[in-house]
Amino acid sequence: MTYLFVFISVLGLLAALGTVLARNLVHAGLFLVAFFFTVACQFVLLEAEFLAAVQVLVYIGAVAILLMFAIMLTRNVQGDMTTTTSRTWLLPALVGGLGLFFVLMFGINDQVGLKGRMTWASASTRPEIPRAGEGKPVTPRSAAINDMGRMVGREMVTRFVVPFEVAGLLLTAALVGAVVVAYREGDDAESPRRGIQPTRLHGAVTVQATNGHADGSDLPSTASVTS
Amino acid sequence: MSHDIPLNWFLYFAAASFSIGLIGVLVRRNAIAVLMAIEIMLNAANINFVAFWRYGETPPGASPLSGVMVAVFVITVAAAEVAVGIGLILLCYRRWHAADVDRYDSLSG
Repeated sequence: MTYLFVFISVLGLLAALGTVLARNLVHAGLFLVAFFFTVACQFVLLEAEFLAAVQVLVYIGAVAILLMFAIMLTRNVQGDMTTTTSRTWLLPALVGGLGLFFVLMFGINDQVGLKGRMTWASASTRPEIPRAGEGKPVTPRSAAINDMGRMVGREMVTRFVVPFEVAGLLLTAALVGAVVVAYREGDDAESPRRGIQPTRLHGAVTVQATNGHADGSDLPSTASVTS
Repeated sequence: MSHDIPLNWFLYFAAASFSIGLIGVLVRRNAIAVLMAIEIMLNAANINFVAFWRYGETPPGASPLSGVMVAVFVITVAAAEVAVGIGLILLCYRRWHAADVDRYDSLSG
């Protein structure tokens, strides 16, 4: 089991590094899918299978696909120019990231713990989950782990009902907000075309813009001539 | 049963992933790559929640699923954040014709 954990962790860290370092954004997105999958594997190792299923559905199925669509919509002609890493930020980022990593390592290794509880470094065994046929009393935790989907639903409508409602409100607000933000600002009836064309033909932005202007200026002039 | 993985290993993995995500947020210039790095950091935090839930003892009156519920809500908030973030990135791309965060300098004096 430990070998499995080490294997999954190494794969996950390599995928995370690939996400950060890949020059091609599509490759970075695929590395991100791999990282999400290794996190789902970690959830399985932690005996939270329902959460692993949610992770695969929401992250790999929705978030990664949404990021892929965004990559395809914002790809521009000069290509790799925008996906490079910035040189001036490399040293501060390394200092900040590695510094945070060593601070976290120090904290994890030297955590003292509350009175009467074991420290993190000595927590090498989990609380037992008695199975159904072993005759041990069924604790609420073992019932929750063995029947996690139903227990999550029950918790959402009893103990966590206020966070559940707030999350629903947040999702509604995010839906409306995303539509409002991404809606084209040229929603007047006069110029529905001018907003579309620079986005669709990324390379020929100025050409399309001048064409639009020429069309717009031509129409009233001909109209005035005929009248 | 799998009782032989120490808690620290999960915490190490989460800390390393979080640091990699932080480096990615600081280093990358493409806005979508920054969003991806933020997702890495959120996932690392989720692993911490679930690991502490699994290895810790549940107090008598508390929920037996506290860490999992927090992770579910974190996933919800992350999904909403990605939706709004991609909407904002598309808006900025339409205005500046670049998804590069260095080009978004309207507020820099």
